[in-house]
Amino acid sequence: MIDIKKTYKNYVDGKYVRSESGKTYTKELKNEFYELPLTSRKDVRDTVTSSKSGFNKWNGLTPYTRMQILYRLSEMIEGNKESYIELLVSHGISKQKANKDIELAIENIIWFAGLADKWEQLAGNLNPVSEEYFNISHQNPIGVVFSLSSSTVSLNDLLLSLLPPLTVGCSVISYSEESSVLALKFAEDINNSDFPPGSLNILTGNFENILDDVSKHVEINLVALHREIENNGLKRIQENASSSVKRVVSLPSISGLSSILPYLETKTVWHPKGT
Amino acid sequence: MGNIKISDVSMQWSNVLEMVYESRIDSVGLNERVNSLATRSIKKDSKLEALNMIVTMCDLTTLEGEDTEGKISQMVAKAIKPNPLDTSVPSVAAVCVYPSLVTIAKEKVQNSNVKVAAVSSYFPSGQVPMESKLLDTKYAIDSGADEIDIVINRKAFLEGDYRKVYDEIVALKEVCQDVHLKTILEVGDLKTYENIRKASLISLAAGSDFIKTSTGKLSIGSSRQACYVMLKSVLDFESLTGVKAGIKVAGGIRDAKDAIRYLVMINEEMGSDWLNPELFRFGASSLLDDVLKQIKKLKTGAYQAGYYFPRG
Repeated sequence: MIDIKKTYKNYVDGKYVRSESGKTYTKELKNEFYELPLTSRKDVRDTVTSSKSGFNKWNGLTPYTRMQILYRLSEMIEGNKESYIELLVSHGISKQKANKDIELAIENIIWFAGLADKWEQLAGNLNPVSEEYFNISHQNPIGVVFSLSSSTVSLNDLLLSLLPPLTVGCSVISYSEESSVLALKFAEDINNSDFPPGSLNILTGNFENILDDVSKHVEINLVALHREIENNGLKRIQENASSSVKRVVSLPSISGLSSILPYLETKTVWHPKGT
Repeated sequence: MGNIKISDVSMQWSNVLEMVYESRIDSVGLNERVNSLATRSIKKDSKLEALNMIVTMCDLTTLEGEDTEGKISQMVAKAIKPNPLDTSVPSVAAVCVYPSLVTIAKEKVQNSNVKVAAVSSYFPSGQVPMESKLLDTKYAIDSGADEIDIVINRKAFLEGDYRKVYDEIVALKEVCQDVHLKTILEVGDLKTYENIRKASLISLAAGSDFIKTSTGKLSIGSSRQACYVMLKSVLDFESLTGVKAGIKVAGGIRDAKDAIRYLVMINEEMGSDWLNPELFRFGASSLLDDVLKQIKKLKTGAYQAGYYFPRG
């Protein structure tokens, strides 16, 4: 039988696209060579345009619909479990560990899917004021989130870098280096889960190449870094981000309610009590 | 047949007809040429110059039923100072509005060099009797419009009554006198390159100062191919009569990159004489926003978000 090789491409705006630069980089897994797109600054620019409109579409859905789409994602992964395990094993991970990783990933999706219509009750507040007003802290998703995934090869870790912002209605640009093959495989399940185009874009490459463009881009509202950045990179990101008052979070919490808090913006509303 | 005196206009109808019937276009060659021009790369300094040039060539446009005095004054403010935080960005060429809003726009552009253009002759369809078109145009001019954008009679054109198309433009030009007349061909309705060339030549011969691609009200707006056909017609018309007419592209040009490709094409095919708001214009509403973003991107190195620029 002919061995058909898959061409891995970035996943942007609901489509599989090559890097506009045409550049790729090679990853070797178990003596197999994977050619992956090396994302360029122009790819980042195009992706942000897509994520901006993706944010409006994703956030425009009701929390109930977002919950269903997230749940659908867990179903898709469940169906493709074996192929995920195979891929993790080819990264040198034991079968048992791989199996556990996928199970955890599925459980986490379901947990966050359940949170999709509940987080606002938990994170918002009716504040005590000594006047005849209601004072309400109303929570809004911050907008376009750039998420640099961790350097581990784990579907669960990858998902925990995406689920908190997605749950609250942010659109996410997920950028993977070490786990790039896994991330691009995962993009296929994203595509089959009814996510609106642009709500979740998946890129791969070398973060150092695009670090300045990402941290300076005015339309990205938050940069979440799920791994340490070498060589003073974090300081550079923070300095670049300051010109557009972009939030930068390094190694944010990925468990429980605290995981969603960085992706929220509080609006305070005063409303008179009807007396 | 119209009742216009032929001697008043720049070309005899028989000559026009001859040119019109000679319209043949090699569409494969045309597409190839247009596409090859689109691949030119523009370096940083030239890009900034091109972007500023695009701003000076913009006709900032609002042609909606929901246009109000407030909306017009917001747009005019943006037309005069496209980026209030960067005074090196020039004003746009003109604002383009419906005739009923010309008076308001005219009042707002005072003390600036921004002109007021009005669409008339029952834009965008033009499906009314000639008397109404003349009245519409007269009204816009009496209100103070500096430029008039009219639509050709596509009904007559598609029925093959070229003389009627021509006569109507001649009559409207007579109403306009010295007021700049831009004639919209609506290339999306004309469908073929031959038709675009025919309509271009008829409009030019009838005395239009500009020919314009589209109303912006169709899903098929301007294309570089259509613009190419039009610019060749303008050049041919110039070689016959010595008259330099302008071109306005409008409809569907949303980003700076696309606009720069038009400039490259104009420069390569017509020469730098035409790189001038007197002879080349962009009809735009969202194009200007992208151009402003790109100017700031070039100056700061950071990709920009639309919400930091004025609405209009």
